[in-house]
Amino acid sequence: MGELGRLDQLIIPFLGHNITLNLKVMLMTWIVFIALIVLGLFASRKKKILPGPIQAFGELIVSMLYGLTEDALGKERAKTYGPLVCALFMFLLLSNWLGIIPHLEEPTKDLNTTLGLGIMGFIIAHYAGIKSKGFKAYIKEYFQPIFFMMPLNLIGELAKIVSISFRLFGNIMGGSIIILVVSYLTYSVVLPPFLYAFFGLFVGTIQAFVFTMLTIVYISVQVK
Amino acid sequence: MAVDVETVVKIAAYAGGGMAMGFGAIGAAVGEGYTAARANLAISRSRNPEISGEIFKNMLVGQAVAESASIFALVIAILLLFLDVPLPSLLKAAALLAAGISMGFGAIGSGVGSGYPGGEACFGIAKQPEIASQLTTNMLIGSAVCQTPAIFSMVVALMLMFIEFGNAPLQPTWAAYLGAGLSMGLAAIGSGYGGGLAAGASCEGISRQPKTAPSVTTIMLVGQAVSQTPSIFGLLISFILMFKSFPESTALSAAMALLAAGICMGFGGIGPGIGNGMAAEGAVRWVARNVEHAGDLMRIMLVGQAVSQSTAIYAMVVSLVLIFVV
Repeated sequence: MGELGRLDQLIIPFLGHNITLNLKVMLMTWIVFIALIVLGLFASRKKKILPGPIQAFGELIVSMLYGLTEDALGKERAKTYGPLVCALFMFLLLSNWLGIIPHLEEPTKDLNTTLGLGIMGFIIAHYAGIKSKGFKAYIKEYFQPIFFMMPLNLIGELAKIVSISFRLFGNIMGGSIIILVVSYLTYSVVLPPFLYAFFGLFVGTIQAFVFTMLTIVYISVQVK
Repeated sequence: MAVDVETVVKIAAYAGGGMAMGFGAIGAAVGEGYTAARANLAISRSRNPEISGEIFKNMLVGQAVAESASIFALVIAILLLFLDVPLPSLLKAAALLAAGISMGFGAIGSGVGSGYPGGEACFGIAKQPEIASQLTTNMLIGSAVCQTPAIFSMVVALMLMFIEFGNAPLQPTWAAYLGAGLSMGLAAIGSGYGGGLAAGASCEGISRQPKTAPSVTTIMLVGQAVSQTPSIFGLLISFILMFKSFPESTALSAAMALLAAGICMGFGGIGPGIGNGMAAEGAVRWVARNVEHAGDLMRIMLVGQAVSQSTAIYAMVVSLVLIFVV
């Protein structure tokens, strides 16, 4: 049970501060990056009218995600934000599934990953809002309905980052803790594979989709 | 009568186990009863008796998923009853009691909530037997997402039980642990129930217009995700209460501030969770009837939820002030 809450960290002292690197998480993130790049190369190499299995799979995912983006943002903006949405979903999906492979861990189990992605979505949404509405109209929104609501509106916006990143983090980390404890109690007999299927594949897919959808929705709330 | 530390830890573990299972049994039973009632209604209303077997099967699957919240509670209760505590301390006693509180309250909402999709799916199968498998899939997705608050509660309970928090000073920290349990457990009630409302409406909507299933499922997931936000605030506050180290102080007010932070976030999360669920329920129901307005409905749902959520944000702000300022 000692594994619960243990982290592999490298701490570098730098100008009086400590820089902490979570080595295992970084390694796992790079594994996901490489897997994604390889998948992308295979899917787009030798493009044919009659697609091969990997190309068909890639086209299916891309067209589905573009469709979702178009529904929320309209055709024009979908061209700008579609690639972001596809990349985000594929990254999260592979990250959440990575834990099924023995000795590998989900990068999304670390709050730093999900918080980073949440802040990225937040900045993109607000940049899109400023670009489409203009700076003045954007600032004015914070003083709706009355001017003294400004601090609460601001906290409400920041709470979005907390909720989106903690949702993913809580689900994935929760799943892995439950799997760890149940495996320990049952000596890894019978139950763990089903739990991996539920928390890794099923919950992982749903949460990757929810995170991506919420990012799209945050952008669409800002631009409209 | 002198009571030694080991006995206190045992007492706390037994009390926690009792609370985990006792409170945890409430929700799932209510939810399963609702599923069974809708299934009976569906069988009596449907014109062809052959599909009663299909409805019965779907009812059992739905109830099995609704049961999982109380199974989580059972696991925690059994762990608490038979746990060996290597280094008994009064702090551990507080943590074990808090683990029971977190899991017990946390299972209520998810249990009740995940009964709704089961019931509506049974009713939908009676109306449209040919899309039975589609309805069952949607029901499973919806009720699995309903379990998220219960899973958060279980995670907090397991952390309180198994993580060694080191040599934290007893004085304010016991209250922080109890606050962590209360914050997560209570805040999970509303979110679990609200998520269930949205999932139920989506099963009903798909049975009315099977063609709209993709948009209905998407809006259901977004709506449920936003309904869960109050329980995520609860999780955040309980993480802060568990992992922040508090300076030792013998003043009772420091401890009470931490306990109050947990109570504030816990109760503050119940209403917004249910309200957000109602907003999501309405949006999902009307998307199924009027799919071309899906974009507008989703935007209005989100704005409405953001307003209803503001009370949870007030609760979170007050809790943070209680933890960091007072």
